[in-house]
Amino acid sequence: MRIDSTARPWPFSAVLLTTALVFFAVAAAFFAAIGQSPLKVMTDLVLFAAGDGFSREETLLKAAPILLCALAAAIPGRLGLISVGAEGQLHLGAIFGTAMVLSMPGAPAMILLPATLMAAACGGAFWGAIPGWLRGRLAVNETITTLVMNYIGVLMVNALVFGPWRDPVNLGWPATARFPDAVDLPVLPGTRLHLGLMLGALLALACALAFSRGIRAERVRILAMNRKVGETFGLSFPRHAVVLMALGGAVAGLAGIGEAIAIQGRLQPGLSLGYGLTGFLVAWLCGHRFLPILLVSILIGGLLAAGDALQLYAKVPASSAVILQGLLFVTVLAVPGLLQRRTA
Amino acid sequence: MTGAPAEAVPMVSFRGVTKRFGTLAACDDVSFDVAGGEVVALLGENGAGKSTLMKTLYGIHPPDGGEVLIHGRPAAFARPADAMAAGIGMVFQTFSLLPALSVRDNLAMAWPGTPWYLGKRGRNVRGALAHLSQLAPGINPDARLGTLSTGEQQLVELAKVLNLDARLVILDEPTSVLTPAEAERLYGLIRAIAADGVAVVMITHKLADVEACADRVVVMRRGRVEGEGSAAALSRAEIVTLMMGRTARGDDPRGLPEKPPLPARPRPQLLLRRVSTGDQTSDARDVTLTVHRGEILGIAGVTGNGQTALAEGVAGIRDLTDGEVLLDGSVISRRRLDPRRKLHIGYVPENPRENGIVAGLSLETNLALRSIAERKGASRRMTSSEVAQRLAEYDVRPPEPARAAGTLSGGNVQKLVIARETGEPREALLMVFPTMGLDITATAFVYDRMVAAAAAGAAVLWISEELDDLLALAHRIAVIREGRIMAEWPVTPGLTRTEVGASMTGGPT
Repeated sequence: MRIDSTARPWPFSAVLLTTALVFFAVAAAFFAAIGQSPLKVMTDLVLFAAGDGFSREETLLKAAPILLCALAAAIPGRLGLISVGAEGQLHLGAIFGTAMVLSMPGAPAMILLPATLMAAACGGAFWGAIPGWLRGRLAVNETITTLVMNYIGVLMVNALVFGPWRDPVNLGWPATARFPDAVDLPVLPGTRLHLGLMLGALLALACALAFSRGIRAERVRILAMNRKVGETFGLSFPRHAVVLMALGGAVAGLAGIGEAIAIQGRLQPGLSLGYGLTGFLVAWLCGHRFLPILLVSILIGGLLAAGDALQLYAKVPASSAVILQGLLFVTVLAVPGLLQRRTA
Repeated sequence: MTGAPAEAVPMVSFRGVTKRFGTLAACDDVSFDVAGGEVVALLGENGAGKSTLMKTLYGIHPPDGGEVLIHGRPAAFARPADAMAAGIGMVFQTFSLLPALSVRDNLAMAWPGTPWYLGKRGRNVRGALAHLSQLAPGINPDARLGTLSTGEQQLVELAKVLNLDARLVILDEPTSVLTPAEAERLYGLIRAIAADGVAVVMITHKLADVEACADRVVVMRRGRVEGEGSAAALSRAEIVTLMMGRTARGDDPRGLPEKPPLPARPRPQLLLRRVSTGDQTSDARDVTLTVHRGEILGIAGVTGNGQTALAEGVAGIRDLTDGEVLLDGSVISRRRLDPRRKLHIGYVPENPRENGIVAGLSLETNLALRSIAERKGASRRMTSSEVAQRLAEYDVRPPEPARAAGTLSGGNVQKLVIARETGEPREALLMVFPTMGLDITATAFVYDRMVAAAAAGAAVLWISEELDDLLALAHRIAVIREGRIMAEWPVTPGLTRTEVGASMTGGPT
């Protein structure tokens, strides 16, 4: 090991500043390349993301599923598991939740809403627990299984809405019947901010607390850092893998039903705009730390929200927001590493 | 032993070399010379600063003070490559070789500048292979490195260094990874290299290395040169005293404790009944043993004869395929045991850095692993001051409860594990190669604790390949070979090394 007292790592603030500058340079180059004025587009971006009450709400609404999916990746991530399965868990959550809604459409909100959310969490947990169990007991790579199960989850939604759950009133359009009003998520008075976002924020805070202190957090840390020693003392890695994957899945499941209820008002294909993968990247970007995840999710939400607005008002393709998001991830992952490399 | 040829200018001179890490002076004003054709044993305990000193020369840690002279001219290398170019070669404890590549490829890697069209037939590689065939004619250059024994890998590394036309070869703990026979061969090779006029520095903490091939001894302790002299003139006891800074206990230069007396009425405490973990020769196979209260049962055997499997089976980490382990009459290990029933016994695993601690967590957490597994919250564990006290009691250095366990030296990691496993009284204690890689002080400490545990009534099952230690400390010795118990004796003055050794290797008794 090389310990060189003269090489000092960059202070965090300097890394942050450099990364931001590099990102803006790269983004400016991109906008210049597609024939837009970088300065104007970027000013617009900020305005559309946070310029007024409406755009701020839009930003937070976009952030909700990203936040939940990021938590879904970060929770098993604390055990050292690499789960990319939030997308599939999100769809399973939507399926289970929808099943609950469709099974008792006349029930009062007091019963229907909690039951639906519970069902959605169970669906996601079920979809997360399977790769968790395979990993824990049979050492099957969880990244591969979660990846593959994403496809199954998405296609199951398609199979259902094209098949048994298609509402005949829709005249061939693949979607379930419209959800009853009883299942509407409560909103913060005077805004469009629904329960999903608040739930996500609360869960992020709860996770931050739960994974930083207490005996359970210690056990997870021990197993994550040295499984063999943990097992020497009787801690069960398989059990932790199942539980944490299921917990992550449950959170993603909430994102699924939340999108179905709040955005579409029914279950239909195109439920998720790649929230699972975005969430995964956010979680890794933040090193599976829950408070940074909360902040970065909102940042990415703003980017996506502004992308939609840009297309409408500035005639910039909406996909440029996704490209911008990609550039952001690459910069944030690459620049700090390159800085440290230069120092070493 | 040949005397060093008298030279007017020594090959290497250290002049007041000082290297600090923070407030710790790893090397403090170190001065000595090494002449060409001379083998110098650089002795000292773990953490005495031997390796650091050599790294100041090799360009890994440039010194903070003092200077190094090569042939009387000041030399300061910023990188190992510069040191290599100046004819200094270092063979590290953990080799800089890639197991997946062939011997030839590994040697070729030492010259990244070789043009591709010369490939692996370049002059340098041919030179290194020539050196290798001299060192060890039996090694096939196209064999995958990983298939070679550790000793052979070390020879490949040595060939690589010699081919640099090294005039000074530094060997870092070269015999710690070797079998006795391989060590003997290495001693011979070192003498041969020295006879060619190469200066050799051998970093070691083994007295056997000194006796076998050193001309001169330099002893370091806590970063300073504690003494030096000709190997022939210094006695074992004198060297040990210099290394440890105190007179070793009794006349035993290793400082072993007294064997504890057996209780008057021996009561079986730890029982292994037909324990099997599989049917490979590296599995425990049909092992039946009884360890009594207060008794130390030594399991002798050559590494890789089922010791690891046996230990993990007894500790309850590995499922048994047959048989059972009983502690005080109740089953603690068998097929598919409930994981919550693990660890009723103190367990000091082999390779404690990998198997005994969580490197990224604090000393305090590592001491509390049992409590954490037993769902004891922070309030029901040792307080910080108790932790500090326990660390001091077991001489874990530095005794900082919040420090990450992975930053400790090897000996201190083992002390930490032993502090956890014997800190409270245990019915039984299982120790697996507990002194491997430890220096004299740490070894004596480990044995002290083992003996103390037995004296306090624990049944001690001690797996080791140190025959002399087993004969000195165990009440009974059983030999394991290919996973089976081949023989068992009470230790009496009549029991000899040869008899046990023959059984270990399957030779005639």
